[in-house]
Amino acid sequence: MAETEAGAIIQVKSLNSFYGQRRVLQDISFEVPAGKVTVIMGVSGCGKSTLLRHLIGLKPTDPGQIFVEGRDLAGFDARQMEAFRKRIGVLFQAGALFNSMSVRDNIAVPLRVHTRLAEPTISIMVRIKLHQVGLTRFGDYMPSQLSGGMRKRAGLARALAMDPEMLFVDEPSSGLDPITAAGLDDLILELREAMGMTLIVVTHELESAFRIADQLIVLDQGRVLAAGMPESIRESRDERVVQFLTRRADERTRDQEGYLSDLLTGGRKVGVHP
Amino acid sequence: MEGLLLDVLSGLGRWTLGHVRGTGRAGIFLMHGVRGVFRKPKKFRAILGHVHFIGTKSFFVIGFTAAFTGMVLGLQGYYTLSKFGSEGLLGAAVALSLIRELGPVLSALMVTGRAGSAICAEIGIMRIEEQIDALECMAIDPHAYLIAPRFVASLVAMPLLTAFFDVVGIAGGYLVGVSLLGVNPGAYLDGMQKSVEWLDVYMGLVKSFIFAMLFIWICTYKGYFAGVDRGSFGPEDVGRATTDAVVVSSVAILVSDYVVTSLLL
Repeated sequence: MAETEAGAIIQVKSLNSFYGQRRVLQDISFEVPAGKVTVIMGVSGCGKSTLLRHLIGLKPTDPGQIFVEGRDLAGFDARQMEAFRKRIGVLFQAGALFNSMSVRDNIAVPLRVHTRLAEPTISIMVRIKLHQVGLTRFGDYMPSQLSGGMRKRAGLARALAMDPEMLFVDEPSSGLDPITAAGLDDLILELREAMGMTLIVVTHELESAFRIADQLIVLDQGRVLAAGMPESIRESRDERVVQFLTRRADERTRDQEGYLSDLLTGGRKVGVHP
Repeated sequence: MEGLLLDVLSGLGRWTLGHVRGTGRAGIFLMHGVRGVFRKPKKFRAILGHVHFIGTKSFFVIGFTAAFTGMVLGLQGYYTLSKFGSEGLLGAAVALSLIRELGPVLSALMVTGRAGSAICAEIGIMRIEEQIDALECMAIDPHAYLIAPRFVASLVAMPLLTAFFDVVGIAGGYLVGVSLLGVNPGAYLDGMQKSVEWLDVYMGLVKSFIFAMLFIWICTYKGYFAGVDRGSFGPEDVGRATTDAVVVSSVAILVSDYVVTSLLL
C-alpha cells in the first residue's frame, strides 16, 4: 500500500460537488496510483460520472480538492489545462465519435490538430490504433454504421491516438453483450501491461470491475463506501457493500411518517427525511 | 396572498437573472468564437465545407424565393405606379426595394430556416452525445474547431447569397413588368440604373454582414448550450434549441433591420 501512495498520480482530497443546491459528491478522498487500474464503482446515480467529470476538468472543482502530480487542478490556467489534457485520453460512454466523419478521420483529429505529422504518417498511425482495438477493416465506416461495441472500440482508438499516460473510461461495458464487454476488459488490461498506462474506469458492472481492478473505490450516494484492493472489498462486512456485491435491490428504509409527508408535499422537500 | 406575491416576485427574479446570465454567456461565447478564428487548428478546409453548406446548398431556395419576390414586386409595383401613370419607374422601385431591404432580409431569413436550423441541430447533437466534451478532453478548443469556421463561412456566404437574391429578384420583376405587363424594357433598366446608387448597395451589404453574424451567433450558441440550463441532455433539448434558434434569429434579423436602416439613412 505504501508503494501505491508513493506513486500516486492523482490525489482527490475531500471533494464535494453540487448540481445547483443538490449535493452529489460528499467528502470524497482517494489516490490514483500510476500504472494501475483504478475502478470507481457504484449503482446508477451514485455520482461516479460526476466524479469522472471533475477528474478530467469538465466540471469545475474548488481549490485544494484534486491534485495531479501534486499540482492543484483548480489552479490550472488554460495552457496548463491544455498540457494536462494532451496527456490524457477519455473514452466516453457512447464513444462520442464525430458523426460527420469516418472512423479513420475521427482517430486522426487529435493527430492533425496537435502534431505536424505528414498525412501518410498519420494514416499509418491511425491504422496502428485501429489494429490495436481490432477494427482494422472499419476505418472507412461512418460511426452510424458501427455497432455499439465497435463504436466504443473506435472511441478507444481515438482516445489512444496521442499515446496518453492516463486513460479515463466511462462505463466500458454498459449496453454491451458479455463477450464484447470481456473483450474490452482484455483491451484495458493489455494497455496497462504493454504501455504501463494509468487507467481510471467508471463502471457499475461487478464482474468487469473485479476482473480489471488493481484498486476499487465503491461509491454510494455520493460518498466513498469502501476503497481498497478487490480482495478486501470482496471480504467486506459492510452492509451496503454486501448489498451491492450481492445485487440486492434497495430496501425501503424510509420511515412511514416520511413517506406520508412525501405524499402530501409531492416529495418536494427532498433530503428532509432520511 | 403574501405567499402568492412572494412566488410572483421570486419567479420574476429568477426569470431576470436567467436572462441576464444567458445574455452574458452569449456575449462570452461570441468573443470566444471570434477569438477562435485566429487560433489553431487551421481551418481553411473546414471553412470551405461550411461555405458550401451555408452558401452553395442554399442557392436553389434563395433563387426560388428571389424570383417570386421579384415577380410579385413587379405586379404590385406596376399596379400602384400605373395609378399615377409612372410605370416607367417600375425598374427603380423593384431594384431599390430588393437591394436596400428585401434582398438582405429575405436571404437571411431563408438561410436561417435552411442552414441555421441544421447547424444548431448538428451542434446540439454534438453536445448531448458528449462530442463537445470529447473535443475539450482532446485539448481542442471547441470554439476554434466548431464555431469559428462557421462564423467565417457565414460572413462569406451571406453577402454572396444576398447579391444573388438581388439579381434574380430584379430579373423576376423584369419578367412580370416587361414581358407580361408591357413596361418598356429600356425604361425598366434605365430607371434602375439611374436611381440605384452605391449607398443603396452599401446598405444592403452592411445589412447582410450583420444578419450573417446574428444568425450564425444565435444558431451556434443555442446548439452549443442545448440542454445545459436544464441539465438534461436528451433529443427534446436539441429540438427545443433548434426552434429557439430559428425564432430568435428571425426576430433578431427583423429588429436589427429596423435599427440598421434608421442608423444608415
